[in-house]
Amino acid sequence: MNMSMKRIQAIFVKDYKEFSRNYAVSSVIFMPMILALFYGRINSPSMDIYLFPINMTFSMVTAYIQACLIAEEKERNTLRGLMMSPASTVDILLGKSLLVFLTTTVILAVSSYLVGYTPNDMLTISIALAISAVFYLALGTICGLFTKSIMEASLAVLPVMVIFTFGPLAVHLVESKILGKVVEWLPSTQLLRIAELSQTGANLSELISSFIIITIWTIAAVVISIILFKKRTKDE
Amino acid sequence: MMANIIEVKNLQMKFGKEEALKNVSFSIKKGEIFGFLGPSGSGKTTTIKILTAQLTQTKGQAFVFEKPASEMNSIQLKKKFGILTDNSGLYQRLSIEENLLLYCRLYNLPVSTIEEALAFVNLQKERKKKVSQLSKGMMQRVILARTIMHKPPLLFLDEPTSALDPVNAQHIYNGLRQLNELGTTIFLTTHNMAEAELLCDRIAFLHKGEIREIDSPTALKKKYSDKSFTVELENGEEHVVHNGEQDALQVMEWMKAARVSRMYSNEPTLGDIFVQLTGSDLK
Repeated sequence: MNMSMKRIQAIFVKDYKEFSRNYAVSSVIFMPMILALFYGRINSPSMDIYLFPINMTFSMVTAYIQACLIAEEKERNTLRGLMMSPASTVDILLGKSLLVFLTTTVILAVSSYLVGYTPNDMLTISIALAISAVFYLALGTICGLFTKSIMEASLAVLPVMVIFTFGPLAVHLVESKILGKVVEWLPSTQLLRIAELSQTGANLSELISSFIIITIWTIAAVVISIILFKKRTKDE
Repeated sequence: MMANIIEVKNLQMKFGKEEALKNVSFSIKKGEIFGFLGPSGSGKTTTIKILTAQLTQTKGQAFVFEKPASEMNSIQLKKKFGILTDNSGLYQRLSIEENLLLYCRLYNLPVSTIEEALAFVNLQKERKKKVSQLSKGMMQRVILARTIMHKPPLLFLDEPTSALDPVNAQHIYNGLRQLNELGTTIFLTTHNMAEAELLCDRIAFLHKGEIREIDSPTALKKKYSDKSFTVELENGEEHVVHNGEQDALQVMEWMKAARVSRMYSNEPTLGDIFVQLTGSDLK
């Protein structure tokens, strides 16, 4: 695997400078925090309420910003420049994901604090959140690679937001058994399950199935994003 | 014998039913400036994309640095060429310097190379300017600076001076000649006949995906010249004369009578030759 920390860092620094000057996209990071502040005022909230700002962070910050960063590179023809440089696919994808991953981590921490969520098992939740973050990064990359502009990417991410953010809430609402089953298999629903069970002191064997489901989603999304990126290196 | 940096044999490229390249063959020697001349849609950019592994040809062979062109996306080979095309982009919210710094890091170059690259395109004073504030010509110069920054042995330049004013175009020509003198091979596509004549050791005329002619500008002009001269007399009359006794005597008579104001060769321009070969102009 061709990977260079110098090149990853160079792309990260460039993305940080661009992102910090792109107010239209960077202002989105405040949305989950505002939501968390609002939800934090609810008396005796359920785990659904705690996890809502977290899932919102994943779709609005992780997937949305990643999709916009990739789509803008395509729109401005700068992605082609990176592809023609000595940066490998891994360098570019990691470099472009690092900023959003770190931003996600900070927003998740702040949102959790604001909503009043204190996990009993911090390690388990941290691992589940980290795997989920990678999944949403890959999803954002796919949306960005499929679209040609920021505008298109913003629209492409909407279904992601609806399905993955509101999916766990829909478990109790949908009457269709098939739809209910589908929703149960969503990574966001599984994240909610991990959060609920770990809060009641469940052991690893009870959580493993949820971890496996989230990991499968993540591996699938990462593989698709890499294949799609490799296809984009060709102008066909 | 000088090695060929680029070797293309019977290259064919189809996009659906449309044939963009039809049996294109040519080779470029190390240290040569090779011009690919043709109107929009003639297959110039497609050829560059095949040679830089952005496209895979339908048929035929293309070698760069004696390796199949499809391998040009390897990290080692990517360091050996620079490419400027009409869809090369810049980061709009970053300054010129920040844009170049990114590529400096990607190619693992010392920061001092930014200064050299900026001097090459005459943009040292504007280095802190944001790209979004630059004119199209200035952006083109930044992209060119980025392309040559790692001093690659091979440059692909697709219409490098299309958006530049004559002064800056001249500055770029001088820079390209300097690079060439240092051994850089340049594959240049252009509409600009004067540019091709000024820079290129050899040129190929590409029309509807086919190479119609390939040679040095001087040889082509000689080949397509009708060997006539125009004699301008003091009274403003113009006469076209050809080789032969009758015309020679006539010219001698005018000269004896001190009536000749000026005399010049009617050799065709590269544009004339292109029109003669293809029946269409280069626009």
